[in-house]
Amino acid sequence: MIDNKTFLIGGLVLALLIGGIAVFLASGDPDGLESTALVVQGQKELTGGTPADAEIHEETVDRFAYESPMPDYSLGEQMGPLGGVIAIVAGTTIAFILVFGAACGIRILRKTGKTNQ
Amino acid sequence: MHIPDAFIPIWQGAIYWIIALVFIAISLKWAKNEMSEEKLPMVAVLAAGIFALQSFNLPVSMGTSGHLVGGALAAIVLGSPLAAIFIMTLVLIVQGVLFGDGGITVMGANIINMGVIGGFVGFYSFRGLMVAIRNMPVAAFTAAWLACLIPALACAVEMYFAGTFPLMEGLVAMGIYHAIIGFIEGFVTVAAIYLIISVRPDLIDTGIKTPKGIAAP
Repeated sequence: MIDNKTFLIGGLVLALLIGGIAVFLASGDPDGLESTALVVQGQKELTGGTPADAEIHEETVDRFAYESPMPDYSLGEQMGPLGGVIAIVAGTTIAFILVFGAACGIRILRKTGKTNQ
Repeated sequence: MHIPDAFIPIWQGAIYWIIALVFIAISLKWAKNEMSEEKLPMVAVLAAGIFALQSFNLPVSMGTSGHLVGGALAAIVLGSPLAAIFIMTLVLIVQGVLFGDGGITVMGANIINMGVIGGFVGFYSFRGLMVAIRNMPVAAFTAAWLACLIPALACAVEMYFAGTFPLMEGLVAMGIYHAIIGFIEGFVTVAAIYLIISVRPDLIDTGIKTPKGIAAP
């Protein structure tokens, strides 16, 4: 048994390690949804491999477009894998802090709500 | 199965957002009532772990890769599908806003698929299987597999409404790919549950020790 603080920090460190390794080992193949898009657009056979030049045609009319600060978990070509590690570390930490903060915030709101009653 | 903005018209995305907001409100109510001292570290660690594992794409043959989604894991470990909605919503916001993984106007659809459907399918199939077969790894694996496959099929139907995929072709391809990706979901979910049990068995709320409705004569 480990205490709550050790669990919190240990869990975050493990997540950061997994994310860091993923930058180097993760597959670059399209995911299930992207593969399906390539199949229905006639660029890929259902059970065949994905051709290197396969590209998803994206509809733009009546569609929202948004440029994220770190697209594809990367800081751009010139930063390479280091940029990927920075992006994943940032994302994992932000997800951790956001959820921890939201959970703490909700707890505090509940407590003040109770004392007011 | 993160849907990008280009795959769904804005007006349809708005409908999914409205439905998602209803579930988000219910999940916030869960958080308000259930967020105990014990659940707090688990919720935060699951968010970090799910975010990191989602970036770990593994090849599944057929030129395709997949990764853990995590809805079943969160729901099983925290003992509520609403926990999955709470965590997945915040993870999807970070992914969409900072990394362009999943769109903005379509985020409601992604929350419905991976958080709501993934969480409910994962949770109730796990609890049902625990009652039926009382075998944690088999129940968790199967529940996680379903919690990957069913949201993918829902996603295919949404793609049909959006005019992005034909119905049958989309269902078949999404179904085949995610039936295989579901094995990743199953293995990682079971492994994560064992890992958590080994360090903090008290934090897990799987109903393993007290299978409700069976033990009592």
